[in-house]
This record gives sequence, structure tokens and C-alpha cells, in this order.
Amino acid sequence: MPDVSARVRELRALDNLSLGDTIIHRLHPLVKLIITVVFIVVVASFNRYAFVSLTPYLFYPFILMALAELPYTVVGARVLVALPFCLFAGIGNVFFDRDPAFTLGSLTVSLGVLSLATILLKMYLCVMAALILVATTPFTDLTFQLRRLKVPMIFIMVFEMTYRYIGVLFEEVRAIITAYRLRSGATKGPHITHAGSFLGQLTVRALDRAERVHVAMRCRGYSLRASDRPKRPLRASEIIALVLVCLAIIGLRFFTIG
Amino acid sequence: MHMTDALVSPAVGLAMDVVAGAVIAGTVARIKKDQFADKKVPLMGVAGALIFAGQMINFAIPGTGSSGHIGGGILLAALVGAVPAFLTMTVVLTIQCLFFADGGLLALGCNIFNLGVIPCLIIFPLLVAPIFSGGTSRTRLTVGSLLGVILSLQLGALGVVLQTLFSGIVELPFTVFLATMLPIHLVIGVIEGIITAAVLSFVYAMRPELLGTATPQNTPPSSKKLLITLATATVIIAGGLTWFASTNPDGLEWAISRTTEKTGTQEPEGATGIHQGADDAQNTTAGFPDYSLPGNPDNPAGAPISGLVGAGLTFLVAAGSGLVISRIKKRGRVTVDA
Repeated sequence: MPDVSARVRELRALDNLSLGDTIIHRLHPLVKLIITVVFIVVVASFNRYAFVSLTPYLFYPFILMALAELPYTVVGARVLVALPFCLFAGIGNVFFDRDPAFTLGSLTVSLGVLSLATILLKMYLCVMAALILVATTPFTDLTFQLRRLKVPMIFIMVFEMTYRYIGVLFEEVRAIITAYRLRSGATKGPHITHAGSFLGQLTVRALDRAERVHVAMRCRGYSLRASDRPKRPLRASEIIALVLVCLAIIGLRFFTIG
Repeated sequence: MHMTDALVSPAVGLAMDVVAGAVIAGTVARIKKDQFADKKVPLMGVAGALIFAGQMINFAIPGTGSSGHIGGGILLAALVGAVPAFLTMTVVLTIQCLFFADGGLLALGCNIFNLGVIPCLIIFPLLVAPIFSGGTSRTRLTVGSLLGVILSLQLGALGVVLQTLFSGIVELPFTVFLATMLPIHLVIGVIEGIITAAVLSFVYAMRPELLGTATPQNTPPSSKKLLITLATATVIIAGGLTWFASTNPDGLEWAISRTTEKTGTQEPEGATGIHQGADDAQNTTAGFPDYSLPGNPDNPAGAPISGLVGAGLTFLVAAGSGLVISRIKKRGRVTVDA
């Protein structure tokens, strides 16, 4: 049985981190967004065996984590989420790509092992980049930025509402699971034959809540128009930082170690 | 079965991102035309959160010791309608990629296509909605959900395999990859299908009007706009992939040569004449001609030992610089406090 409260805490943890006040947190959200995307695309563009050339990119997560004062306990644990599929898809490389890459003393490292290591390193770098972005940018700033980038209003509103309601519905799930546990003895989890009433009940409650939320929102003058909020201008220093970091990330692509 | 950034090449990832963006724009335009659009937004938001919450509950499957949970696409489409369901699914996938490290920003387009477009915009309108529309009943709900979920997952898994292979990052031969992915997702599909059917039957028994949004008059199986969007998307995919395939010596060609090598068959249709000419031209123009990797001066692995030492040093310096920054920051704070 999953620990629902742990997941709620997990979600809140990122939210709390994003409210910090460091040089990275204060950076304009647009700058962080662009740098993150450039970083991920550049990292993904390396070939299958580029493990060594990829290592300089480790500076990015290490330095940002330190500058933003993020704890590895919160951010690091999430890196493991992507691990199973990467291992599943990448482990085949070890068996199908047995040509030797190089030898370390008497130990021969095959190209397959090298490419699996490259996949895992890429996974680490990309996941960290995305997590650092959300752990240093408050959710409202992020969606406001998306709005300025002309992402459709409907999409952004659904995005915001889903994010806000995850916590609310998690609480309902916790209540349902607790009730089930108290009445079912030491079972491993709800039996699949109870899935209908379990999730069905949750669905009915959730949809009713949507109805009430809609009425409440209408009462407060909600419509599909964008809310007015002062735009935060880009400072010259931020533009310079953006250009420099992007140049560094792209420049490293053409630089090989060894 | 979320695609991750590590398994996707920029060409495939960005091409799929463009496709996803086009489909999103098309669906947003459609929802805006709906006179109840403002009411749909809270419904979609809560439904998105419902998918997250629902996935938290793992149901024990008797006799196996394993467990399963709900998927998303088909259940959403049945609850809020195909087009809103697609947009909701897109939001769910974006949040999963940003906040739960499930998927990736570059791979987001792939995931939106595999888990959003396929179940919500293809399988549901074409297969499930017609089954549901002939008068709702428990049997129809069960058959529709089961078929819908299983087919969506099979097509989604196929999408994952193709996107991974086109990216040319894993070595698994196409057939082996497909032969592992499809059966796994068949099992998952059956379980998810059963759960989806159970949920829909329950909701139908309790509150039949809630399933009303998905009735056919609200979700015409094929609107012209949607078809145009999908057609444009296909053209972009095809264009992107062709460009990719012609500029990158890896990918499909490599996958094919791998499989033919494994089974001992030759590359189809004589390696002479035009094919040979094209091969030669490619070998001289391509960055990494076929199979020149090991023992070649431009071995992409780089010079072995010195490279590895360099990598180790880089790691240490990177980690060290992080540590130093943390220390300096901590010290700074102490002096400020004191």
C-alpha cells in the first residue's frame, strides 16, 4: 500500500523549496526556462558513447544545487523514478553491443556498457535540470511565464487547477484508504474487485467538487481571460547571464575531453 | 511507459514536440468554441488531479502478488469527452515530467502522443465511443473500456519502441524490443481495462448523468479540424523523421542492419548498383560511417584511459565546486547571524 501522506509531502516539498530566496530563485523565470530547455536538448544531442564528453555538464546540477541551496534528499530521490525504464531499455546495449571500447588493465569495457552508462548519465542530467527549474521557480511564476509565451489560456488554467487539486484529492484518497484499512484487517491493499467502488466513489466526489469549484469561481468573477499582473522586466544582467550560460552549454558540445 | 529524455534524440524529441504543440493548439481552438468552455476548465482540472490520485491506489491482483492501477486516457475521455480528455492528459504528463521526474521535457511530445493522442483522439472516438453510444449498459462499458485500454497501450508501446529506435540510443533490435514491450503492456492493459470498466460501471450505476459528457453528440468521432490537425502532425512527423534519417547514420538503418546481422540475412536487395553507390556516398559524407566505431581514429568513445581519467577528474571538480559554494554560503550566513 503506498504511503499517500509521503506523496503529499513530496509534492509540497518542491513547492516549499521554490519559495526560497537565493540568487537562482530570484532569476527571471524566462531565463531559467530557456536555459533548462537548451541544456536538455544539448545533453540529449550527444551520441551513444559520449559518456566522457558529457561529464563536464555535471557542473550544471552541482553548481545550481549549491547556489540554490537545494537539499539532495528531496531532489535526488526523484531521479530514481526514471531509472527502471532507462535500465530496461538500456540494459540490452550491454548484451547486443559487445565490441570492446577500451581496456582497463585486464578488464575490457564494451561499447554496450559505455552506452548504458551514457544513458544513465543523460538521465541524471536531464532529470536534475527539470527538477532544479521547478524547485527554484514558484508554480505561479512558471505559469505566468507560460502565459507570456502565448501558451493558450485554457491549457494554463487546467494546468494550474490540476496542480492545485492533486493535493486536495490526495487527502481524499488518504481518507478512503484509511477507512478501508480500518475495516479490512491486515490486507496488502484494496482488492481489485473493489476497484470500482473505490475509484468510482473518488470519481463521483471529484466531479461533484469540480461543479462546486466552478460555481465558486463564477461567483468571484472568473472568466477565461488572462489575469492582469505586472510583468517582471528582464534585467540587463539577466540577459547577459542567459547568453553566457547558453553559450557555455552549447560551446561544451564541441569540446571533447581526452 | 513514459519516454525519458535520455532515450530520445533531439531530432525525434523536437519533431514530436512540434506535433504535440500543433494538436494542442487544434484542441484548444475546439474547446474555445464550446459555449460551456468556462465550465469545462474546472472539470478538466479536477479530472487531471483525479488521475494522479487514482494512480496512487494499487489494487492487489489475486494469485499474482502484484498490483495494478488506473491508466488515464480512456477513463478521462469517458468522463469529460475526448477533446478535453486529451488536454487534461497533456497537463497530467507535463506535471509528471516537471514535478515527479516521470518522462522528460524533451520527451514530452513523445509522451503526449503515446499516452494522449492515441487513447483520447484516436482509440476513444473511433472505437470506444461507437461501442458506448448504442445505449449505455454494463456490458458495453466493460467491452469498450477493455478494448480501448488494451489497444491504446499496445499502440502506445509501439510508439515508444519506434521513437526509441529512431533516436538510435539503445541497441535492442526492433523485434526483440517490440516482443518485450507488447506482451508486458498487454498484461498491464488487461488490468487497467478491468479497473477502468469497474470505475465506469460504478459511476454509471450511481450517477449515469456524469457519463453524459461523453455521448456521441458531444464528441463527434471525426471533426474536420481534428483530422486536419492530425494530418498536419503526420506530415511534420514524417518530415522531421525523414530529415533525421537522412542526416543521422544511426536510427532505423542501423536497427535494420543490426537485425539482419543477427539473423544472418543480407541487407534486402543486392548491395550493388544504386544501393552500393548510395552507401558509398553516405559513408563518405556521414560523420560516423557504419561500424567504424571501435579501433578507429575517430572512435566516439574518445581516447580510452585519458578520457576516463578526465571524466573522473571533471566529476570531482564539479562536485567539489558545488561543495565549496555550499560551504561559502553557509559560512556567510553564520557571520550574518552572529
